[in-house]
Amino acid sequence: MIPAPTRYARASDLDHAFELLAEPDAKAIAGGQSLIPVMKLRIARPSLVVDISRLELRGIEERDGELHIGPLTTWDDLADLAHPGLEAIAECAHGIGDLQVRNLGTIGGSVVHADPASDMPAVLLALGARLEVRSPAGSREVPVAELLLGPFTTTLEPQELVIDIVVPLPGPGSGSAYASVEHPASGFALAGAAALVTSDHETVALTGVSATPFALAAGDPRAAVAAAEIFGDRFASEEYRRSLAVVVAERALARARERRAS
Amino acid sequence: MSETLSLVVNGEQRSLDVEGRTLLVHALRDGLGLTGAHIGCDTSQCGACTVLLDGRAVKSCSVLAHQAEGRDVTTIEGLASDGELHLLQRAFVEHHGLQCGFCTPGVILTAADLLSRDGSPSDGDIRRALRGNLCRCTGYQGIVESIRAAKDAS
Amino acid sequence: MSEELIGVARPRVDGPDKVTGATRYAADGYIHGLLHARPVLSTEAHARIRGVDKDAALATPGVVAVLLASDLPLATTGTDRTAEPLAREEVVFAGQPVALVIADTEAAAEDGAELVLVDYEPLEAVIDVEAAMEVGAALARAVEEEDEDGGDLESIHAGVDHGQADDPQEELSGNVLDRITRESGDVAGAFADSDVVAEGTFRTPWVYQAYIEPQVCTTWLEPSGTLVVSTSTQGSFVTRNELARAFGLPLERIRVIAEPLGGAFGGKFALVEPLAAGATLALGRPVRLVLTRSEDFQATNPASAQVTHLKVGALKDGTFTGIEGRMIVDRGSNAGWGVEGITSSLVAGPYRWVAHDIRGYGVQTNRFTFGAYRAPGAPTAAFALESLLDELAQKLELDPIELRLRNAVVEGDIGISGNPYPTIGAVEVLERIREHPLWARRDSLPENEGVGMAAGHWPGGNEPAAAVCRVDTDGTMTVVTSAVDMSGVNSGFAVVAAAAFGLSPDKVRVVTADTSSGPYSGASGGSKVTYTVGKAVLRAAESAREKVLAAASQELEIAPDDLEVVDGVVQAVGAPDRSITVEELAKKILRFGGRYEPIEGHGGSAQTMGAPSVAAHLSHVKVDRETGEVELLRHVIAQDVGRALNPALVEGQMRGGAAQGMGWALFEQLDHDEDGRLLTGSFLDYAIPTAERVPEIETLIVEVPAPDGPFGAKGIGEAPVVGAPAAIANAVAAAAGTRLYELPMTPPRVWKALRS
Repeated sequence: MIPAPTRYARASDLDHAFELLAEPDAKAIAGGQSLIPVMKLRIARPSLVVDISRLELRGIEERDGELHIGPLTTWDDLADLAHPGLEAIAECAHGIGDLQVRNLGTIGGSVVHADPASDMPAVLLALGARLEVRSPAGSREVPVAELLLGPFTTTLEPQELVIDIVVPLPGPGSGSAYASVEHPASGFALAGAAALVTSDHETVALTGVSATPFALAAGDPRAAVAAAEIFGDRFASEEYRRSLAVVVAERALARARERRAS
Repeated sequence: MSETLSLVVNGEQRSLDVEGRTLLVHALRDGLGLTGAHIGCDTSQCGACTVLLDGRAVKSCSVLAHQAEGRDVTTIEGLASDGELHLLQRAFVEHHGLQCGFCTPGVILTAADLLSRDGSPSDGDIRRALRGNLCRCTGYQGIVESIRAAKDAS
Repeated sequence: MSEELIGVARPRVDGPDKVTGATRYAADGYIHGLLHARPVLSTEAHARIRGVDKDAALATPGVVAVLLASDLPLATTGTDRTAEPLAREEVVFAGQPVALVIADTEAAAEDGAELVLVDYEPLEAVIDVEAAMEVGAALARAVEEEDEDGGDLESIHAGVDHGQADDPQEELSGNVLDRITRESGDVAGAFADSDVVAEGTFRTPWVYQAYIEPQVCTTWLEPSGTLVVSTSTQGSFVTRNELARAFGLPLERIRVIAEPLGGAFGGKFALVEPLAAGATLALGRPVRLVLTRSEDFQATNPASAQVTHLKVGALKDGTFTGIEGRMIVDRGSNAGWGVEGITSSLVAGPYRWVAHDIRGYGVQTNRFTFGAYRAPGAPTAAFALESLLDELAQKLELDPIELRLRNAVVEGDIGISGNPYPTIGAVEVLERIREHPLWARRDSLPENEGVGMAAGHWPGGNEPAAAVCRVDTDGTMTVVTSAVDMSGVNSGFAVVAAAAFGLSPDKVRVVTADTSSGPYSGASGGSKVTYTVGKAVLRAAESAREKVLAAASQELEIAPDDLEVVDGVVQAVGAPDRSITVEELAKKILRFGGRYEPIEGHGGSAQTMGAPSVAAHLSHVKVDRETGEVELLRHVIAQDVGRALNPALVEGQMRGGAAQGMGWALFEQLDHDEDGRLLTGSFLDYAIPTAERVPEIETLIVEVPAPDGPFGAKGIGEAPVVGAPAAIANAVAAAAGTRLYELPMTPPRVWKALRS
């Protein structure tokens, strides 16, 4: 219930953050809605918590045909995003956690936490998003598909911070959607699907059914899900989850197609 | 490992020494004697610890006290002003929005956040806004009716 | 006696304090020099403790002590949670407290508790309750102890008997701690004569009360040696008795203060107090134990899992014939009592039967100690019975409500306990839901929607109680009881006292006293507080009224019979100008040289009649065939409450009970792995109903007065949950076209049922 002993420091700017994060067991905290719960369970035991929440990395901006989302943008900020073709972002953000979590939880914090049942990574995958990542060594770009390695594991290095989430704007006549079936207790996705439908292709990404969120193979969702690696647990068997995956994929696609048409 | 934390609580400037790991809810309860924020779980779900941070409802068990440095916290004790109950508090009393009362401060503050941003939520909006506030006594209907009454009165 | 105060929807008396955060719950008070406790819980379901390494924990900054069972000054050797708050040699469930770390701060106690190393020698864990019954099964408790007089916790909860003696022909293992037999008539013959029969096996899981306030208590020693216990409990006198037994202390050396309760629903009885008190007695320091939610999930006392094999029969005209049942109750590690007695009695429902043969088995396993949860043993019994009654209705092509009405008991009917029913409103509540438009629409709903109904009853309880009403110099009245306000009873007391005396309820204050000076009250639970303590309050107020009339009579020179008390004024009947206020009288009396007795009354009650309550439910659901999710669209509950002293509070109980029934029906299950470890130990895994999932609940109050309740009121807290899960199960059966025999009806289970 009470975290293990730790120190707290607040980063005044990016360089200061890197300095603080140089300590071996330091961990960055943004909204804290992913990190603090695991600290309370004493699963995460950072020696130093580096508060990056006051860095200027919050906001949504359209630039050069792409949407730039600051990693400190909260779910509540995103729930109002109204952009044709990108409906899935707001639709997903709207349903994450609860009102209190949405006030503090950030898209960047959640993405790097990499919970295999969290919703937004599926949306970012379907939309073909990438992360701009920086460290004292320099910058690099990481497509979301390459970021997520496994449960709570990413390809980020210890001192790397996400400084931008870049979503290509889908062309005119696009639509996207997010559909999920939630675990009745945790609210996490038993199966969640994000779909992007453009004038020339349809992409579906799933979450909650495997070790990480992943993009479904193109074509009929039923066949793609049948071929995918899906796991089961005591509450929801593999057979059930596989069936749910198809249902949410089809629901997301249907809604995305409707949005494309309108 | 304690450091001084300065913040505004219920309109007053406060200073207290807290450890790096101290959660805001413990700082409020043990450090400042504001026991209206209750602890009902340890997985950040029940919402009994909800307070307003810069006017927004947050679960104070999921905020490190030091994260609130320089910010504005309102607890249930700070909702009434000049001895007058807040509209929501009055509504919960008059419309039977509580039984044991343990979840009540958290529920009222979440409702305060909701109503500050949406002057006319539907019952469905109200129920959705309460997802992070668990109640075991009322079956929620008295709560929804109280929030609706406060909405209508404002 | 002004009855116009009765039946008014008034805000509850403790509302203002609760909405401002002023109410001090048991974890809120400041105590100088307080130490904090953190239990170390067993990770093994069944094991012998070889040793405990405390060194690292003791070396942790802030840690003051690490206590084991041998460090607590226990005076008894029983195996219940009071007599053995920390496991001695044998651990019998995963989650059982094994050690208690005491420290200066909560954080330090948690730091220390992480470092306590317990060396377990695992023993065979008994997890499957049906296998546990078979001769030759491993025993859940290797060290069988003669259970001493382990406190009478069962009787707090319901007024039922234990049926006939053991059936010697059944051969069962030593894990079967109790066997109830209820037999009358020729059941086999009854089934042979029946036109229809329905049978099935029904399973319900362990279910957690999930009060939002985790269990907590604070204990300290006064300089005089009194052990003070400030706690979140349902019963201060019960707690005092338990602690006296545990530590061999005389009653007057223990003072139990029941703090405002953050929910309990049956689960808060003497679990944490023996731990904290043991620590205080061992160390001589104040100690507070607040369970974390995780500890509360693992180490308290949830409701038993049950397996019910049930068979019922009926004649063509719907008359019930025989009922046969085998009800297996998983008591977990509770050797003291189980719900097999209650559940085997209530499974017959509020109906007449020609013949019955019902057996209840209380079986121990290596799971948590079972505890009571709002109408213990009842929702599970009703799930089985009311599901089968719907099957009978279907076979007979009879309206399900009509079927029940043809068999519903009325006053004087003999129940399966052999005793006649007192006043009971089974017929009334069934008729009330039959009139509801939702019932009329049930056959013309959209696809995948369904409406189901069910009835459930609770016998209520009886326990002697006493109360005091005292008028002060400002003319206000203070009502004193020791009854813990779990369901809003204090507001009811205020109205009863006001009406009986002749004051406005705004001038009545209700105080919950502690065991050192309070008049006796049993524990709050069993649906008896309004009925019994309320009656004592009524009599105390009447007694105080006699005093004020006697004094006024002297002052006004009018005979007491010609006087009345109206809204705080004692006046001549028919000539209200000849009067004196209660306040004036009190001021005259309560001073040096005053000439009349203080305006105080003491009242007692000891009902023996009993006041059962029945609730009938309608549930409207929609099933998503693709995902198995069940959406609750609407719920209607009609309950026979005797008399609604305050309809708003009564409705609150009805809604709260119905909502908990929704949890039973669709969401809640405590799940163990094969080794007996709890897998669902947080709200991340264990789903209690949220505001989005609970629909509008329409409440229909039906008043069938209890002749000996205050103004006809009964205890009503438990009946509303009993029939709710069954009504939802019947609705799901109607919507899905297939019936589920196991609760909760989770999406995966519904999905599977739709495809098999």
